[in-house]
Amino acid sequence: MKIKRRDFLKGMAAVGVIAAVDGPMLNSLAYAQGGGASEGTWMPSTCQGCTTWCPAEVYVQNGRATKVKGNRYSKQNDGVLCPKGHLSLQELYDPDRVKVPMKRTNPKKGKGVDPKFVPISWDEALNTVADKMMELRNNGEPEKYMLMRGRYSYMRDTIYDSMTKVFGSPNGISHSAICAEAEKFGAYYTDGGWSYRDYDLSNTRYALIWGCDPLSSNRMIPATIKRFGDMLDNATVTVVDPKLQSSAAKAHNWLPIKPGEDGALASALAHVILTEGLWHKEFVGDFKDGKNLFKAGETVDEAAFEEKETNGIVKWWNIELKDKTAEWASKKTLISAAKIKEVAIGMGKAAPNVVVWLGPGAAMHVRGAYSAMAIHALSGLLGSIDNEGGVLATAKIPVAKLAKYDKYKDELAAKHSKIQKIDQRGTKAFPALNAGKSGGGVVTNNTANAMLKDPGSIKVAIGYMNNFTFSCTGAERWEKAMEQLPFFAHITTNASEMTQYADIVLPSTITQYEKMGYVKTKANRYATATLILPVVKPMWDVRTDETEIPWQIAEKLKERGFSNLLDYYTNEFKDPETGKVPTNGMEFTEYSLKIQTAPLWDGKKDVGGDKINGWEEFKKRGMWNSAAYKNKARWGGKFGKDEEKDGKVTTKGTVTHKFEFYSETLKKALNSHADKHKTTVDDILETCNYEARGELAFVPHYEAPFRYGSKSEYPFDFIDFKSKLNREGRSQNLTWYYEFKKMDIGDKSNDDVLQINPSDAAKLGIKDGDKIKITSTVASIVVNAHLWEGVRPGTVAKCYGQGHWAYGRTAAEDYHKAKPRGGSNNLLMPDDYDRLSGSTVRNGGFTGVKIEKI
Amino acid sequence: MANKKYSMVIDLQKCVGCGACAIACKTENNTQLPATGQTFHWADFAFHKEGKFPDLKYASIPVLCNHCDDPACLKGCPEPKALYKTEDGITMYNYRFCIQCKKCYEPQDSCPYSSSDVEKEGDQHTVISFNQVGKDTHGFWRDKAALIKGCTSSPAAIADKAGITPPRAHEYSYNDRMNTEEGQQSRGKGKLADVRKDGWIEKCHFCIHRVRNGEDPYCVVSCPSSARVFGDRNDPGSEVSKLLKKYKPKRLKNNRGEYLKDGEKGTGPNVFYVREFSPAKKS
Repeated sequence: MKIKRRDFLKGMAAVGVIAAVDGPMLNSLAYAQGGGASEGTWMPSTCQGCTTWCPAEVYVQNGRATKVKGNRYSKQNDGVLCPKGHLSLQELYDPDRVKVPMKRTNPKKGKGVDPKFVPISWDEALNTVADKMMELRNNGEPEKYMLMRGRYSYMRDTIYDSMTKVFGSPNGISHSAICAEAEKFGAYYTDGGWSYRDYDLSNTRYALIWGCDPLSSNRMIPATIKRFGDMLDNATVTVVDPKLQSSAAKAHNWLPIKPGEDGALASALAHVILTEGLWHKEFVGDFKDGKNLFKAGETVDEAAFEEKETNGIVKWWNIELKDKTAEWASKKTLISAAKIKEVAIGMGKAAPNVVVWLGPGAAMHVRGAYSAMAIHALSGLLGSIDNEGGVLATAKIPVAKLAKYDKYKDELAAKHSKIQKIDQRGTKAFPALNAGKSGGGVVTNNTANAMLKDPGSIKVAIGYMNNFTFSCTGAERWEKAMEQLPFFAHITTNASEMTQYADIVLPSTITQYEKMGYVKTKANRYATATLILPVVKPMWDVRTDETEIPWQIAEKLKERGFSNLLDYYTNEFKDPETGKVPTNGMEFTEYSLKIQTAPLWDGKKDVGGDKINGWEEFKKRGMWNSAAYKNKARWGGKFGKDEEKDGKVTTKGTVTHKFEFYSETLKKALNSHADKHKTTVDDILETCNYEARGELAFVPHYEAPFRYGSKSEYPFDFIDFKSKLNREGRSQNLTWYYEFKKMDIGDKSNDDVLQINPSDAAKLGIKDGDKIKITSTVASIVVNAHLWEGVRPGTVAKCYGQGHWAYGRTAAEDYHKAKPRGGSNNLLMPDDYDRLSGSTVRNGGFTGVKIEKI
Repeated sequence: MANKKYSMVIDLQKCVGCGACAIACKTENNTQLPATGQTFHWADFAFHKEGKFPDLKYASIPVLCNHCDDPACLKGCPEPKALYKTEDGITMYNYRFCIQCKKCYEPQDSCPYSSSDVEKEGDQHTVISFNQVGKDTHGFWRDKAALIKGCTSSPAAIADKAGITPPRAHEYSYNDRMNTEEGQQSRGKGKLADVRKDGWIEKCHFCIHRVRNGEDPYCVVSCPSSARVFGDRNDPGSEVSKLLKKYKPKRLKNNRGEYLKDGEKGTGPNVFYVREFSPAKKS
């Protein structure tokens, strides 16, 4: 039974205890005086601290958010969050939040140049933005408007898509490729799914975690934390990572691979699995006469093998694997051949209940597309794709699409919104083969290069929930690009690095507490739609980035004679229940949310999963769970599907409809990109800095790591890793981040350290805590050294996140002097790309550094 | 019927060292930032790091007040004692009797899990934290300066708008200042008083406000790995009793991550650790 505090105190008063005002009191009564439960309400929303996107609940007392937990209905987090969830309270009550729209009064822009922001009204701010946008239309150059998207919800289509295109620009630039597109590439060109994978940890017998620490990051944190301890009893857990992190520390095996050599290990594991005859026959098939012909160095006749669910196992062997022995890989990876064999055999014996967890550390390399493929191909070899205890795709989330906006585009918009995008996707050097299409994906980080190359190309930009000047590698280029951008409006919660270049700043709501929207997520075999709801009233007039502000810009554009956008928002976003037409930004927001999520709660069609009776109930629960993912859903030739439309056949997924070891899908995509540029696939590969030529380009294979800086001048491989406490780049103004930084293995609280092996430190005369300068081919940063055995000699590791020179009083050492607290990895790491996927490179030891004591 | 004997068992194999419990505790119990060698982390961690690359042993061990059978903090506390044991075993603090003598955590024979200054003494954590006399508690929130004048807020302005320091303060009844009579009276215009008062010590109280209402401590319910189990050790059917029977438990000896040896009683800590952070290596 819960006793409300007030009632309790009343009760106490009745017996006269309360009369003893704060005087000495017997210990036996001390607690009784005022002891009792708290009063408040748990309200649903969503934690967007990382890309797990946990359904959450917020405890609200007297209009204040005081505690956070997971959503009680979640089949992923079971009502409990990771530390990032709790940190979010400090984000809500961040003292450095922008509370009012701001205007720049210093026309000069640059790092360390005071923008001299002054407060202005929302009306003035939106008028200025609309004026600048209309100038472009009036000059017939609406394509010079750009929208930069950062962390988003699925309300994004309004600000990112329709506002941009109906206005007349192609330039919606998302942040996606600074995150992990190379991972998706590995999955798509083998199993046909351009997405992140799910993993059935509860039922696995072998987990190979590769290039990430799923206890700290990588999209299903609480679900993984919950299962890890039991998994250690039920399975063998092996972690491949150059540095010791939490899952490596807990695992049965830690394989501290030499950075960038992941493809070598993957090929060798495949080689051993095949030579040992441990591939999963039910999925891959077998030799017709049952005799294993996979012998090191020997070519195999394709006709001798009968494949079932896969395509090209023998081709893969002949082209890539036959010579990739454990001994060969041992020299590359610095992992012993015996260990490689042990792991391969362990996995083979546990097949098909094997999780191969492909993380960004193994994929976001200069040539990472192929290591991602090689690692994901293991899941095919072991038959663990879509299998119990294996690697899964996602159950469907049957939300509705928004109405098309094509008819609202005027002639100018129709023409100019189809111009080549600024990021150079699809050009010869940037195939960005998202889901099989040349230029199908974004090359986020290259946008700065394009802006610098052609300074007039973008004249007006809006960015929201993004901070590319800090979050992109080669960050200095973004500083320069933003410096020359004539007009920039930033929708943000804090005056971040990127905000320092803004002409207008629009203060936005904090996700989870003040915003309205929804996201889709998955883990533990379930897919989920979870609502982001305003659970407290903001302290100031801050507004919702993806919907409310676009509506208000649309109103301002209408005042200036361009009504198409507001017409679209008004006509096509009626309340699905009442038919009411939205009359303001928040009505528009709610109706848009209702339209999209209606299939989950309107009861018109049985969509499976949770049964929810109406919008009010959905808002009260905050989330919907799908039914569990059906194992083997894509077996039987369903890894790809042909669709015919207007007499034209297109394929979704793999071309062969099978799991591809020889990727006909990639062959088709590469050929189509080469044809587009009237050249050969080999020429494309050379242009894009891959080693493969000929047939090798179509199979998962080893590519030697590409590195900036010679070994002699820059002797150390630099490793960037993610913190347990990183709410992406937004934790660094939160004090708890610094207090508990020690939870990141090898890091220290209240410090930003470079982890360096003591043997290396000794050679350089560096002691623990010494101030050091780290220099790469592009920049230097200054941090403190921490001597730690958990990094491979020859490599050094540093956590991403600190080094802010703006953002707030806690994040920066001196905001007004642009003096950073700690050092930013993104200054050190040059901008380069896994060009086939468009992914920015962050991993694979591509940054050579030297270290000096100062 | 015998009194309850509240205890906690922490399964280190389940624990992944994420830190959620410690931060959740800060939200539940409104503790402040570290200051003057005091951590104000009622839940915190000790660490074990041994070996050389690549054969390393690493463990993070969640720590809290051990609610000892024979608490050293209580021994030194002068009569009438501010520190006392409840009949169900919780080590509690009654600020009304506290004379700020610091005998609970400063002298040699005081609480072995506490430190007068964690940094200076090289300790990993401290169970008792002391709010310096004459110093504002939650000092972070007193600053009136805005980063960008007229455009951004300030800590004091946010606390003022929230009507409480810290602005996220979780309101519940315990002998926090905001919930004392003194606190209630000083609220003024619907505002709450600060949650702590200078001159008080503070420490984990096993979330007595929750336990008395039949709920588990907040660190227990906030642990994403279900590593923490709380319950009555006098009840053989309780989860804690079962775990203690199933596994051989260990208890901490001090705030440097050392365990009591077999046969060593120490101060009779009631927080137990079972299994290992990382299991034996296997292929």
